[in-house]
Amino acid sequence: MNNILTAANLSKSFKALQVVKDVSLTIQNGEFACLVGKSGSGKTTLLSILSGLEKPTKGRVSINSTSITDSSENELALFRREKVGFVFQSFHLIPTLCAWENVALPLFPVKMDKEIRKKRAIELLNQMEIGHRAEHRPSSLSGGEKQRVAIARALVNRPEIIFADEPTGNLDSETSGAIMDILKHLNKKNGMSILMVTHDQDLAASTDRIIHMKDGKVVS
Amino acid sequence: MYYPYIIKELRHRHNRTLVNILGISFGIALFISINALSSAYKKAAGQPFKDMGADLIVQRAQKQQNNPGSQPKSMRGIRLPFSNQLFSKQDLIELKNLEDINAAAQALLLWEFTKTGFTSIMGVDLQQPALGGLKAKNWIYKGRFPDKKGEIALEKHFAKFKKIKPGSSFMISGQTFDVVGTIEIKEGAQVSAANIYMLIDDARGLLGKSTGAVNLIYLGLKDPSMQNRIKSQISSKIKGASINSSDSFLELMGGVSMISDKFSLIASMVGLLGAALLIIKTMTSNLVERSYDIGILKAMGWTRADIQKQLMVETFIQAIAGGLLGILMGYLISFLLGFLSISIPVPWEMGFVPSMAKQTQALNEIVRLPISVSVSLSASAMGLSVVIGCITGYILGKRTERMKPADIFRQL
Ligand SMILES: Nc1ncnc2c1ncn2[C@@H]1O[C@H](COP(=O)(O)OP(=O)(O)OP(=O)(O)O)[C@@H](O)[C@H]1O
Ligand SMILES: [Mg+2]
Repeated sequence: MNNILTAANLSKSFKALQVVKDVSLTIQNGEFACLVGKSGSGKTTLLSILSGLEKPTKGRVSINSTSITDSSENELALFRREKVGFVFQSFHLIPTLCAWENVALPLFPVKMDKEIRKKRAIELLNQMEIGHRAEHRPSSLSGGEKQRVAIARALVNRPEIIFADEPTGNLDSETSGAIMDILKHLNKKNGMSILMVTHDQDLAASTDRIIHMKDGKVVS
Repeated sequence: MYYPYIIKELRHRHNRTLVNILGISFGIALFISINALSSAYKKAAGQPFKDMGADLIVQRAQKQQNNPGSQPKSMRGIRLPFSNQLFSKQDLIELKNLEDINAAAQALLLWEFTKTGFTSIMGVDLQQPALGGLKAKNWIYKGRFPDKKGEIALEKHFAKFKKIKPGSSFMISGQTFDVVGTIEIKEGAQVSAANIYMLIDDARGLLGKSTGAVNLIYLGLKDPSMQNRIKSQISSKIKGASINSSDSFLELMGGVSMISDKFSLIASMVGLLGAALLIIKTMTSNLVERSYDIGILKAMGWTRADIQKQLMVETFIQAIAGGLLGILMGYLISFLLGFLSISIPVPWEMGFVPSMAKQTQALNEIVRLPISVSVSLSASAMGLSVVIGCITGYILGKRTERMKPADIFRQL
């Protein structure tokens, strides 16, 4: 199997504080990997670098042989738009937009037929089993529903990999299970590569691989 | 670009949107009313001259004119007004040789002092273009304008005061004249008003000069914008000439009328700048609130340009709405200002009435402010609000450049 993601010798410092220290890792195509570690160990920072949200101080990242190491901010934005899906702990939905508009958000800057855009968003909401809430704003949705909308949004650009930073962190255990099932389903049925950060030992254990982080280093 | 998003944002933050729109509209309304007001005053000041058909009035004041208000005790009978001394032959030739003059008319203005008061007498030449004093022949109230020796017409109020009707006779300095008509001075034409009108040769006779005596010259210019150049030409050629134009009124009016083009530009720019700063300020605090959204948009792959466009259109819509509202308010303010009456003070040397007699005849003209908002003024106001929208949108866009999603999300 070939690698969807390759990172080599990544370091990230904020002024004097080194948060990520010489991290090298690969994620295989279709792999569901899980990043665990204590709070403050640098998981979110590493995820940001791998997903092109933030630039490393040192090191190289490439996704499907597209190197983003020397990309400009603009190129990184286009890279995120085309290749990456995001799921966050606090959902990060736009409060003024309804569910389907939030799903379609990454597509708004893309020139395409309005109807197709909306159709694709609604389709994904249906897949997430909340098609009936398509016209509702996030404020009227439950946490689990919000996360379903967010997952639909992560899929709308047909990404090559999904980065999920504690996607169940704000949900109760039952809802967490359901969200986890969705992600697993995406991984198994669609072959979607996923890198997820979690604090939950059980959830981590149910993925393909666990990557441990400690003090900015990948320890295993 | 997704327009419903823009509309939803504006509606969601309706208080902010309203403040922005009102801020711009006040700035625009200020811009419109200041400009309309200053051009209205200019128009009003130009009115007396427009009614006279002349652009310039040339006169020559008495040499030692220290105190125009003092009346020598011995003064009696027919006199030249202080401000209207006779022109020399040389002066008249110089004036005749001026270029860019469309029409010129000469007149002889006299004062008669009697025991009971004074009268002003305007001698006009029927052979000359109908400028200035001769315009009075178009303002006949009753009877006709004098066209023969020994005939006079009286100004309506003067005739009423003296209880004289056309057909009777009137004594001036011991000579008897036939009153052939009365004249009604048009509003705004006070500067060329006199109590008595007669042929210029009769006036010369009263003064005791036979030919060529002239102390008042009306000039119409081919191009009124050359006014200042011709003014300085005349004053260099004719020593002691005082030349009046509509500008002379503006100087006297003072106050709002002194608003020069430059000042009104600066004042309205300050208003607009205030509006722009307001919208930048409210939008910037808006940005703080919205940094979360901007973080999301950036994470989702919106480029700088995409976000810039979004913010530009948002400010643009507010600027357009504010501009339209401001133009409406400007129209309303101007409409209300149009009910104002203003008094146009007449320069003393053009009152044609002895200055010690001011109490009997006020040297002011009262006119309604001729204010109007021109299409080009509204258009430039609209243009300005568009510019404000673009600039503030651009500045806001610039401010989002350094916002990083990773930082924004961490701060939540
Ligand atoms: N922009 C920044 N400036 C300064 N320090 C930062 C910055 N971003 C992260 N850090 C620091 O880097 C360290 C790692 O942060 P990070 O958010 O990656 O940890 P984490 O493993 O995701 O923790 P948690 O499990 O609590 O989410 C922390 O000590 C944090 O304070
Ligand atoms: Mg974290």
